[in-house]
Amino acid sequence: MTYWKNYHLPTSIQEAVNLLTQYNGQARIVGGGTDLILEMQQGRQLPVEALIDPTQIPELNQITKEEGYLVIGAGVTHTQIVADKKIVRYGTCLVESCGVIGGPQVRNVATLAGNVAHALPAGDGTISLLALDGEVQIASDDGLRWTPLGGTFLGPGKSAIDPTRALITRLRFKPTGPNEGPSGEGSAFRRVMRPQGVALPIIGMAVRLKVENDAFVFARITIGPAGPTPFLAEKTMAYLTGKPANKQTFSEAAEVALAEVNLRSSRHRATAEYRIEMIRTQLPKTLAQAVARAKTGKVVPEGVGM
Amino acid sequence: MADSDKVIGKSIKRIDAFGKVTGQTLYPGDRNQENELWLKILFARRPHARVLDIDTSEAKALPGVMDVLTAEDVPINQYGLQIPDQPVLCGPRSNKKGGDIVRFVGDQVAVVIAENEEIAAKARDLIKVEYGDLPVVSDPEFALSGRAPELHPNVFNNVAEYKQIRKGDPDATWDTCNVIIEGVYQTPLQEHAYLQPEAGTAYVDDEGRITVHCAGQWTWEDQQQIAHALDLPPEKIRVIYDAIGGAFGGREDISVQIALALAVLRTYQRYGNRRPMKIIWTREESMIGHCKRHPMIIYCKWGAKSDGTLLAAETKIISDAGAYMYTSNKVLANAAITCTGPYEIPNVTIDAYVIYTNNVPNGAFRGFGSPQSHFAAEMQMNKLAEKLGKDPVDLRLKNILDGDKLLAVGTTIPGGVSLDTVIRKVAWKSNWTYPGKRGENNPDYPEDLPRFVKGRAFAAGFKNIGFSLGFQENSWAQVELLGKVEIEEAVLRIAGADVGQGHHTVMAQIAAEALDVDLDKITLKVSDTAFTQSSGSASASRLTMLAGNAVKEAAEFALRKWRREDRPAIAEATWLAPKTTPLDPKTGYGVPNFAYGYVAQMAEVTVDTEMGFITVDRVVCADDVGKAINPDQIVGQIEGAIAQAHGYTILEDFRVEKGQVLTPYFNTYLIPGVYDIPKRVESIIIEDPHPDGPYGARGMAEMPYLPYSAVIASAVFDAIGIWYDDFPLTPERVLRGLGKVRSRW
Repeated sequence: MTYWKNYHLPTSIQEAVNLLTQYNGQARIVGGGTDLILEMQQGRQLPVEALIDPTQIPELNQITKEEGYLVIGAGVTHTQIVADKKIVRYGTCLVESCGVIGGPQVRNVATLAGNVAHALPAGDGTISLLALDGEVQIASDDGLRWTPLGGTFLGPGKSAIDPTRALITRLRFKPTGPNEGPSGEGSAFRRVMRPQGVALPIIGMAVRLKVENDAFVFARITIGPAGPTPFLAEKTMAYLTGKPANKQTFSEAAEVALAEVNLRSSRHRATAEYRIEMIRTQLPKTLAQAVARAKTGKVVPEGVGM
Repeated sequence: MADSDKVIGKSIKRIDAFGKVTGQTLYPGDRNQENELWLKILFARRPHARVLDIDTSEAKALPGVMDVLTAEDVPINQYGLQIPDQPVLCGPRSNKKGGDIVRFVGDQVAVVIAENEEIAAKARDLIKVEYGDLPVVSDPEFALSGRAPELHPNVFNNVAEYKQIRKGDPDATWDTCNVIIEGVYQTPLQEHAYLQPEAGTAYVDDEGRITVHCAGQWTWEDQQQIAHALDLPPEKIRVIYDAIGGAFGGREDISVQIALALAVLRTYQRYGNRRPMKIIWTREESMIGHCKRHPMIIYCKWGAKSDGTLLAAETKIISDAGAYMYTSNKVLANAAITCTGPYEIPNVTIDAYVIYTNNVPNGAFRGFGSPQSHFAAEMQMNKLAEKLGKDPVDLRLKNILDGDKLLAVGTTIPGGVSLDTVIRKVAWKSNWTYPGKRGENNPDYPEDLPRFVKGRAFAAGFKNIGFSLGFQENSWAQVELLGKVEIEEAVLRIAGADVGQGHHTVMAQIAAEALDVDLDKITLKVSDTAFTQSSGSASASRLTMLAGNAVKEAAEFALRKWRREDRPAIAEATWLAPKTTPLDPKTGYGVPNFAYGYVAQMAEVTVDTEMGFITVDRVVCADDVGKAINPDQIVGQIEGAIAQAHGYTILEDFRVEKGQVLTPYFNTYLIPGVYDIPKRVESIIIEDPHPDGPYGARGMAEMPYLPYSAVIASAVFDAIGIWYDDFPLTPERVLRGLGKVRSRW
């Protein structure tokens, strides 16, 4: 079958935008293609005139530190993220999530930008980037603009970024700590599913938090799938502010989260009840781990590289 | 014998390795022919319906479409391996009664022939079919209840096959038993998940034969079934196997073969077409298009004396045939014969049913009914050990079959029984010790269970080698010796399918050994009905033993002719296995098989009681292979069988709802990857020669599969004190057992 007629590898953002304009809605952006091509083959995405692949644009192929942000280009693969020392240290949950997607072959081509654009409620990298309070840079006819990540999700698989009109060029977040040693900030990600594989997770969760004097300054918590879009557990976050960072709080946080999430039984992944049990047991552990990292500054990502 | 071996008994590198690793070897989907046409099949995608009308006019009018074939284009619109009960194409004006009924989602309705795959697919979607939906029967127990509609004419209560075995009198024995163990075991569907989906090419060859290249398990049988459906003599059909990307029983039944041949026939007749045809199924088409492993419900009641001696067993098996017979009758017989495990039980009643439903048909799959029966039998045995507080190894040794003891079918086992050896070897190698009753040495469920708990268990198994129940097993081979003074080349013609197990390498080794020549002198010509006869199916762990004997005999005959100065020296042989008998319909009495294989396993697991995940840390497996012709390939088979059984036991959850498959992709139907399978498998090769095997070899490829589900479920019991009588042991099911999750799907 033919799913596209032309495949373009622009070398600049402008060229990519021009191509989109030229095709006038008949072309779309592709990253690593690990989701999109499968969906095309399975008939869940329509064939297009052209695919435009921005991953070879040199300036989008790097991880940099700019204006107090860690910036990840749209061409950066999961493997690059996992190997990046800055992100290991200052965006640990992103490494832990990007490190468990698919297998090595998938991670070698799949991009975080592609994961974000796919807008699945349980995209591992997306869940973590949302916990980190990430932002997206979008290029279109109107130029470049930054927008909060959370605002780009419209529904399961539906992004506000129209892949036939615009492309994600960069992603960024503020690092969890500016210096060596304990910064008071930390993050962690945990996922429930088989050790390895191409399947969707049963449930995933990410946290970014700050503690001072053994109390929460703030915590950002994301869970997926727990609704039509990546879920930001705002009530749980509000609950945690100012609370002591101890075991009892962690357990209470899980109960607050359970009251605000919308968990469903999927026909071939898990029942809602199993997911409830996993949030109840795993969210406290995710919080505890992020707190430990925040307090000690010691970070060893878990579960990466299968 | 081993000392004199020159070529056999050695881990010779696979003769097909280089071509496969370098990508030179052609699988059916890789054969690109000049000017080829593409086929697409319209699957019914509804579980039960009458096809009222098919309108192909729009599809035929699409530019690039040569033809669209429907039921009325099929000369004899029926086929099937055991009985011809399935329409080739479902639709009106079928020349066979009932040919207009769709009985499962994968029934085929039309074949499109077009310039390329894209046009073929487009045309397929333009075919308009009017269906009259019929009630869907998806539960075998309901299908059997008398309240369900009959799915096949004159099949009362949808019973596709019933087997009854009676030995002694269990009812008169229960009172004398000190302990009775009862259980209801449910085993799941399993998909073969071979790497290469169904594919093939077809054309008319120079001698006017309709020639089909495909991947199957038995060229001769494919040829017969194609010939029947096309109403042509078999010699007008030629079947050639390209490289085969896995089979495991799933290619035993027809998939694309008849459609390809039919397309060649009709387009030649109508348009004088000589262009070749090609088809490749998508993974999703493969998932709904070929059979699965039979799910079974097995009701068991076993009685024993307090010393552990088994006295009586009463078993009822309900197996789901799905929509058509495929090999369900034979799978059922196998399950019935082995459902009392590898033990002598003097009083036995077995009632086994396989029932038609509107589910995807179930058929052959590694173990052929025995993994299901062994799950029940070995769970029963481990429950008995637990109840009596006896070492499960001692309990087995006390009850195992030997050459003198009687099977449930009332006769002894021919060809030697090595259960004692395999069980003792595994116990020794795994440092097996009996820790006492679980309840006395382990924390009590569930409050005191730590997060990670370890457990270990033991199980054993046996299964027939070769086809059974009165079928005269046979296998053909031909050897042609070329040269003048010395043998320069030995051409070996065989039809046994190398489905990935390494059959061709083993046959080359046997030929080289028998001829006393180097392996590189052997040239293989394989699996082409133009010059090979029937070597039988690549199933029932039979090829090494059956085809090996034929190759050895043909080689020995040819060598005799060579020594008589024949140039070339050509000899062929058809090896006939010892005779077997069907089972007596009332008592089940009979000699169903001429050879068996034996296996024992110990497994160690870690159960995550918080998340429900099971890790298998270690498996020790001993398999009696009679004679290891190629030891590395045997280890590969043991490890492969365990990996596949691991998927069956832990991970693979084939979900069907009202006849519709919910898991047609590998992102919902999860098969094990390298991080899922056991961390360590220790394979022990036992060589207890079979008197009828070539150099003593007996088949082995299914055996390591048999005890696995039970050994894992029993090790989980050892860890957490809960018996799981159904599987796969997904995290959800494990937590349900622990009371942490209550709902079901």
